[in-house]
Amino acid sequence: MSHKPNSNPAESSSLLLLGVNHTTAPVEVRERLAIPTERLADATRTLAGQPGVREALILSTCNRVELLTVQDHTNHEPPLTSDAPGIGMLRFLEQYLHVRVIDIQPHVYEHREREAIRHLFRVASSLDSMVVGEPQILGQVKQSWSVAREVGAIKSTDSLSSTLDPLLQRAFSVAKRVRTETRIGSSTVSIASVAAELARKIFGSLAGKTVLLVGAGKMSDLTARHLIQNGCTTLLVSNRTSERAEAIAAALRSPAAAGVVTGVVPFEQLHHQSHRADIVITSTGAGQVFTTLEARALLQRRRNRPVFFIDIAVPRDVDPAVNGLEGCFVYDIDDLQQVAAQNQTVRGRETEAAESIVSHEVARYSDRLAQAPATESIKQLLLDAEATRQAEIARLTAHQTLSAEQLAAIDRLTRSLTAKLLHPQLARLRADLREPGDDTD
Amino acid sequence: MSLLWLRVAVILYGIAALAVLPAALYDRPRWRHIAVPAALGGVFFHFVSIVETLIAAHRALPVDTHEALSWLGLLLAAAFLLLAVRFRTVSFGIFLLPVAVLLAIVPAFHPGNETLASPQLGLQLRTGWLLLHIALLLAAYAALFLSLVASLLYLIQERRLKQKASIRTPRLPPLETLDQIALKALLFGLPCMTAGLLIGSVLALETTGPAFFADPKVLLSLAMWIVYMLMIFIRRQSGLRGRRAVYLSSFVFLGVLAVWAANSLSAVHRFKTP
Repeated sequence: MSHKPNSNPAESSSLLLLGVNHTTAPVEVRERLAIPTERLADATRTLAGQPGVREALILSTCNRVELLTVQDHTNHEPPLTSDAPGIGMLRFLEQYLHVRVIDIQPHVYEHREREAIRHLFRVASSLDSMVVGEPQILGQVKQSWSVAREVGAIKSTDSLSSTLDPLLQRAFSVAKRVRTETRIGSSTVSIASVAAELARKIFGSLAGKTVLLVGAGKMSDLTARHLIQNGCTTLLVSNRTSERAEAIAAALRSPAAAGVVTGVVPFEQLHHQSHRADIVITSTGAGQVFTTLEARALLQRRRNRPVFFIDIAVPRDVDPAVNGLEGCFVYDIDDLQQVAAQNQTVRGRETEAAESIVSHEVARYSDRLAQAPATESIKQLLLDAEATRQAEIARLTAHQTLSAEQLAAIDRLTRSLTAKLLHPQLARLRADLREPGDDTD
Repeated sequence: MSLLWLRVAVILYGIAALAVLPAALYDRPRWRHIAVPAALGGVFFHFVSIVETLIAAHRALPVDTHEALSWLGLLLAAAFLLLAVRFRTVSFGIFLLPVAVLLAIVPAFHPGNETLASPQLGLQLRTGWLLLHIALLLAAYAALFLSLVASLLYLIQERRLKQKASIRTPRLPPLETLDQIALKALLFGLPCMTAGLLIGSVLALETTGPAFFADPKVLLSLAMWIVYMLMIFIRRQSGLRGRRAVYLSSFVFLGVLAVWAANSLSAVHRFKTP
């Protein structure tokens, strides 16, 4: 377990992030640590109630479980070692999820202060995701934040002692900035998602579209599922054996795909019924299931409405010449992989730009945090000086009657004196504020 | 002053036409934040200019070719904005905005000084019917041009998908959306053209009499109306798309240009310099 020491030991609180993700822990470990949505509120409340924890947030997704806390050093004995809060959080996991610390400790990473801020910004911006740029993570972070606020584990920004709320708000705006200023989320990199994106290029919304799955295979199943998730509402399955077709249709009729109509097309009826489909996924490997002749007939029956063939089979099921017909779009596995590879390259370039934005934002946020005490000191100093000046004027006017001109002159004089006397102290504090941090990456 | 606003509108259309290129062709979506407001500003100042011109001239109609062209430009720019809002696409601006600039730039820098040839029609300039006749036919022309642009973009998008080029650039609307826009534009244009021609015919019958129907422009207009209707029928019946749809739309568009050019042969529509 690695960590960086607290950069602001003098402060009364410190930020600590501890977690596991897809790069540090195998799925067997992650699934033991995963906190289901229905238990998230209770877990967050319990974590926030741990000794020394002032604020807390838990992020639990299929690829990561992270605990973000603000450790309070005011009401508790300072930790004996800087490892103690991290150990405390591991103990929480041990007690709450009944896992042994010894089993999870090797997979856990720990970030403090500035590194915790950076990690949070990277996670929210989807730079730390398995599929970089995927949009779901931001929603998951927002959900965790919302739960933590509901159970009181995160104090409102209005509260002076709130640390996590402004930090999370900042993380959301950094993520938004990354998404709008880079194209990190605009390219898809998996075969199934490329197929769905291409389908959207042809049909726009996939709502109400029909998918015909010809043959069976892991990749074709995955693609069909992805298309259904993207809005397709009818799924037809055709296979040489009708039992197998029924089984595939049943398997794809998941509870998550409520409202999706499934049906079986007898293989011998395939060419007579294929015109019902807007998207045809083929994976029989039998070769030439659709030739230009069949494709022409299909188009005629569809009154030239476009049809998208996704040919995942090797050897190919759809004659490449079909792509030459107006209204037919044929993408084989190589085409899809090529598009995915292009997108991966683009995404790599955009990742660099996104990392740069995150670094800049981390520096800004850390500077602001570091400057906060100095700003408060300046405010307090000015307030104290003004109070003293007013008190002295009041004392003077209580004993003597002064004209308006005399009062104005005294006011000017005392203001000027106060400003001159405070100047050296204010200059020192302002210099501290301006001092650049050592954190520009 | 009205010319000043028109010139401002032309400049804004020009900015929008340039800004739309990186947004639509080079996958730089942030440029749309310049293109759309510039076009919106252009439409606003163009409208102000038209209203000011009409108020200053104490009439409700464009009386020369330049003014009519300028109105057509306004309609095309408005169509661009409508599509940008409804379909979140600025691709149509590649074609619509430069044409809007061209249509507005002549009246902005070289205002026409023509009047309608027919004195009887001149008396009717204040009637709403003539205004409706002109506005409906201009809307029909704009709809036809929009349909042609949508068909062209369909062709480009179709080619890109078939060639399996990078699926990311340029950002064009999906094929079905383009097809819908092309068809809906035609369906919008047909009643406009029908009503526009009917109103024009009734007005002309009142003023010119049956001789009006021997006018070459009128005959061409009627022929174009039939072709327009045929085009919609073919598109709906056979699901005509892609290359053939572009050919058909281009053919009808050429017909429209011929009808416009027939002004010089028309006794009713001819404009002359006073």
